Amino acid sequence: MFKNVNQEALKTIFASLVSILIGLIMGLIILLVTDPNNAFLGFQRALLGGFNRMPRSFGEMLYQATPILLTGLSVGFAFKTGLFNIGASGQFIVGGFAAIFVGVRWTFLPTSIAWIVGLIVAMIAGALWAGISGWLKAYRNVNEVITSIMLNYVAVFLVNYLVVATVFNQTRNESLSPTNAFIPRGFFDSLFPRTGVHMGYVVAVVVAIIIWIILEKTTFGFELRAVGFNRHAARYAGVNEKRNIVLSMMIAGALAGLGGALLYLSATGVHIEVVDVIPLQGFNGIPVALLASSNPLGIIFSSLLLAHLNTGGFYMQTLFPTEIINIMVSVIIYFSAFAMITKSVLEKYLKRKGGKNA
Amino acid sequence: MEYVIEMLNITKIFPGVVANDRVTLQVKPQEIHALLGENGAGKSTLMSVLFGLYQPEEGTIKIRGKEVKISNPNDANTLGIGMVHQHFKLVHTFSVLQNIILGIEDTQYGVLQMKEARQRVIDLSNQYGLRIDPDAIVEDISVGMQQRVEILKMLYRNNDILIFDEPTAVLTPQEIEELMKIMKLLISEGKSIVFITHKLNEIKAVADRVSVLRQGKYIGTVEVSETSKEQMSEMMVGRPISLTLDKEEAKPTNPVLEVSGLTVAGHHQHKDSVIDVSFTVRAGEILCVAGIEGNGQSELVYAITGLVKQKGGTIKLNGKDISNATIRERNVAGLSHIPEDRHKHGLVLEFDLAENLALQTYFTKDLQDKGFIKFDARTKRANQLIDQYDIRAGRRAKTNARSMSGGNQQKAIVAREFERAPSLIVAVQPTRGLDVGAIEYIHNQLVKARDLGKAILLISLELNEVLEVSDRIIVMYEGEVVGELNPKQTTQQELGLYMSGSKKDKEVSHV
Amino acid sequence: MNIPFLVQQTMFFAIPLMVVALGGMYSEQSGVINIGLEGIMIFSTFMGILVLNMFIGVIPAQFLFILALLVSGISGMIFSSLHAYASVYQKANQVISGTALNMFAPAFFNFTMRNQTGSNQLYFFNQYRIPKVALLGDIPFVGPLFFTNTYISTYIGLVILAISVFVFYKTRFGLRLRACGEHPQAADAAGINVYRMRTYGVLISGLLAGMGGLILTIPTTTAFGGSVAGYGFLALAVLIFGQWKPKRIVFAAFFFGAMKTIAATYTSIPILLSLGIPGYLFKSIPYLTTILVLAFTSKKSVAPKALGEPFDKGKR
Repeated sequence: MFKNVNQEALKTIFASLVSILIGLIMGLIILLVTDPNNAFLGFQRALLGGFNRMPRSFGEMLYQATPILLTGLSVGFAFKTGLFNIGASGQFIVGGFAAIFVGVRWTFLPTSIAWIVGLIVAMIAGALWAGISGWLKAYRNVNEVITSIMLNYVAVFLVNYLVVATVFNQTRNESLSPTNAFIPRGFFDSLFPRTGVHMGYVVAVVVAIIIWIILEKTTFGFELRAVGFNRHAARYAGVNEKRNIVLSMMIAGALAGLGGALLYLSATGVHIEVVDVIPLQGFNGIPVALLASSNPLGIIFSSLLLAHLNTGGFYMQTLFPTEIINIMVSVIIYFSAFAMITKSVLEKYLKRKGGKNA
Repeated sequence: MEYVIEMLNITKIFPGVVANDRVTLQVKPQEIHALLGENGAGKSTLMSVLFGLYQPEEGTIKIRGKEVKISNPNDANTLGIGMVHQHFKLVHTFSVLQNIILGIEDTQYGVLQMKEARQRVIDLSNQYGLRIDPDAIVEDISVGMQQRVEILKMLYRNNDILIFDEPTAVLTPQEIEELMKIMKLLISEGKSIVFITHKLNEIKAVADRVSVLRQGKYIGTVEVSETSKEQMSEMMVGRPISLTLDKEEAKPTNPVLEVSGLTVAGHHQHKDSVIDVSFTVRAGEILCVAGIEGNGQSELVYAITGLVKQKGGTIKLNGKDISNATIRERNVAGLSHIPEDRHKHGLVLEFDLAENLALQTYFTKDLQDKGFIKFDARTKRANQLIDQYDIRAGRRAKTNARSMSGGNQQKAIVAREFERAPSLIVAVQPTRGLDVGAIEYIHNQLVKARDLGKAILLISLELNEVLEVSDRIIVMYEGEVVGELNPKQTTQQELGLYMSGSKKDKEVSHV
Repeated sequence: MNIPFLVQQTMFFAIPLMVVALGGMYSEQSGVINIGLEGIMIFSTFMGILVLNMFIGVIPAQFLFILALLVSGISGMIFSSLHAYASVYQKANQVISGTALNMFAPAFFNFTMRNQTGSNQLYFFNQYRIPKVALLGDIPFVGPLFFTNTYISTYIGLVILAISVFVFYKTRFGLRLRACGEHPQAADAAGINVYRMRTYGVLISGLLAGMGGLILTIPTTTAFGGSVAGYGFLALAVLIFGQWKPKRIVFAAFFFGAMKTIAATYTSIPILLSLGIPGYLFKSIPYLTTILVLAFTSKKSVAPKALGEPFDKGKR
């Protein structure tokens, strides 16, 4: 019985590794085509850049991983419940703004708890934003992919407007620093000085574990997964699937919003720029979720992997534009869509090798 | 004498199952040859091989004496083979004419030429007495007409080897008679027919010879006129089987389910699907709602179980009005449901057996504590049910539901629903797609539950089941209850008349 | 308020929306969800503009534009073949495959642009505007609206519409394609190769989305930044609102095109300006109206029955 669980996990990991490998190879090929002389050096930097200045680079990686761990959880949680949350970016920026607002305008809060309030407000904002898509899907049968994407754009416009209206730094065309609500660095300060990582990472990991517990160990999670697999049977079992769809989206939105807060309440000088650009962290949640097969514990690791790649891209950028990383990631996503197939191919192979218990 | 079809030593394997194991079939020209076997015996698979949908691993096929290879339906068509499938292969949003010509359209530079096709269809329809309307949209026409469209598809393609896969599953006895007449007409016009079925009556009525399959293996071929139903049945199942159910007289007591004036709206048609239906089911009786598929039975069940809100009328369970209760409330109040479509409504196939068995009770105090699942309790309960109901599952409670056989999946659903000690059991087509052993088992379970004092509302399309299992029968036609019958006193013919709307009792309310 | 200007702008937004949506229609009517229209548009526009810049001065303007449209269309077909392969032959999750396309295209654009030029704005010289069509532009009332300040792509878009409708309803190909999206088993039993038909459906969507990208970009911008601002998704909304049928799609496309026009030109419409609504809200109009419209029309939405379900011939 325990062996069975492990088999599934191994199959998933194998399939993910195959996708990653292909993605990396595609990236290398493109580098070779673009500039054969520098290709291998660039590739090496991309792959190993994350290890460049250990342990400092490890700290940087944790910092990079924090927001996408959460957007990965957001997308993954939604997947588990049968929904595709491509609106994580919109929820991310809405949450981020809410957190900045708390940090800049609610200075009556003592610094020790201001960041916590910021996180909570961000989660609420993200939840409400996602809830719109959820409600429309549950009660009006509107495809959540389209509403989420539309809301991504609306979120960017709305947040830009609100930033200008409430927390604007006009000289730099971005939001002001939410100094009152900076997330404390805690023990990371001594472990990884001069990096950006802070207690937010701990929060993120704890949240991942909580989400895992909810999905696997509670009746609520049971209902959500039932709805995700088979709406009709869940309904027959008396589950209020409409309410659950809305709740699922709201939870997913809260997670993405939290991700935004953890990023923008970092004391690293990151601000919301008032431009019409949809934040990439939301979309990066998709490969994070897919590579881990939406398993919250696996997402802890896949987010590290993606952060590592992004850091590598940063170190490589003197040779090649960083977008090569995005190209690799999109290839990884493409092949992980086949993951089901890779898994079943693996199953057939194992069966033939004499596994009667397949 | 040359056979028109010879399938010799055909073997077809799917992952994990040998569907056909060196099966031989020989059909004489201009005969009606029945292919008999239980569900899962391999009949449909064999015919799909003949029709080119599947490729056999081993074996040869000869048509009119010549060895052939049939790689796809086009090859089959070229050889003159056509098939009417059990689940019609019609595009619902297309017209009758479009469906008939699909795949062999007349075109000029790719543009459809419909005029000649239409004329040909009308001519064929007249020649064989197959009434259809070429421009009607398939989703709007009756099931009987849909079947005629399927037959016309074959005739339009000049097929003269015709395969019918369980054609009578969806027809009234009168329509079945009509179909038999059409088949005899087709034979006289030079066609040969293979007719897949598990219904012995029909074989007796129209077939010349019958070949029997059992669990993928070929058992033998006999002359219908020289073989009794009991003998055929024994060949099919492998042991003598009683064709009648052993049950005592029912002793109904208090009313459990009272349905009064129930009306349910229809889908896209403007007509209501259930119209002013009233009946009562008592504890200790099995009431069967008979009728052709699509006459409101499904919607009736949806309203009773809470899946759909009724337009008007009331539903009472043990005296309590549940007309507006949620599904969960009804379940907790004592309503159990074995659904029509076990994959859609009955099980979450991605869950394991324990999770599926707990699908109706996971929120009770036994199986959870403050929202956290009690895994041990759940597994223990599941194993209890597995033993009690003899559910065959490779890894017991941890078996993935999708990997279980249809019969065992249904047993799991039955186990789950009976276990909740309900007052009312609503069983919709509970034996659909199951083999004789499983059917026997489920019928016995239903009777057992009845004898324990449960009220059972059975919806069935199988006339045998209706007559064998029920204590009382009501017939639905076009949303209304048109008759109440005593199974011991009525016949399949009479039932058929009610089911097709030809007969209707004046006063049939509050049965 | 310059009405001819507004009408022309609406055409510039509506026609590409319609073309892309028609492409989506072919894919989805064959049974394959194509979320990747956005990525296809981006990739193909990139290719098309490269061609424009490459042959400027060598080939006369309008012919060059048509050539670029063809190149965009073919690029779209090639790019979409990835989606076709994944969805039809690998039975992959179609939404994820489409998303991969959407992520790849802008990354590819940015990477190539920054590598070659250091900037991520691809400029092109717009010599394709037709100030006035001879004769037709002089017709009173209609002339200024539809035949002045226009592009050949508009008329090509309308031709595409006419061809699409004809193929869809009147040809064997159209009939078979629709069968594959409604009931692939029936098509299979009738001897139709469902895999092939679905591949054609996706390739056509690539062709039309590719052309649509260029049809959108040329009249409405002076530089291509690797984005079409969500147009590919708006086209999907048009498809759904249009209930997968050409006539309604046209109506939906013009409705949304008008919304886009309002968002882009509200500063020149006095009534709207006087409402004092902040600019950001105007920019949101196309997206918000999309959501609203879908909220009210999706309940009875009837998609092709087999949409999104990979077809497996061997399935019992």
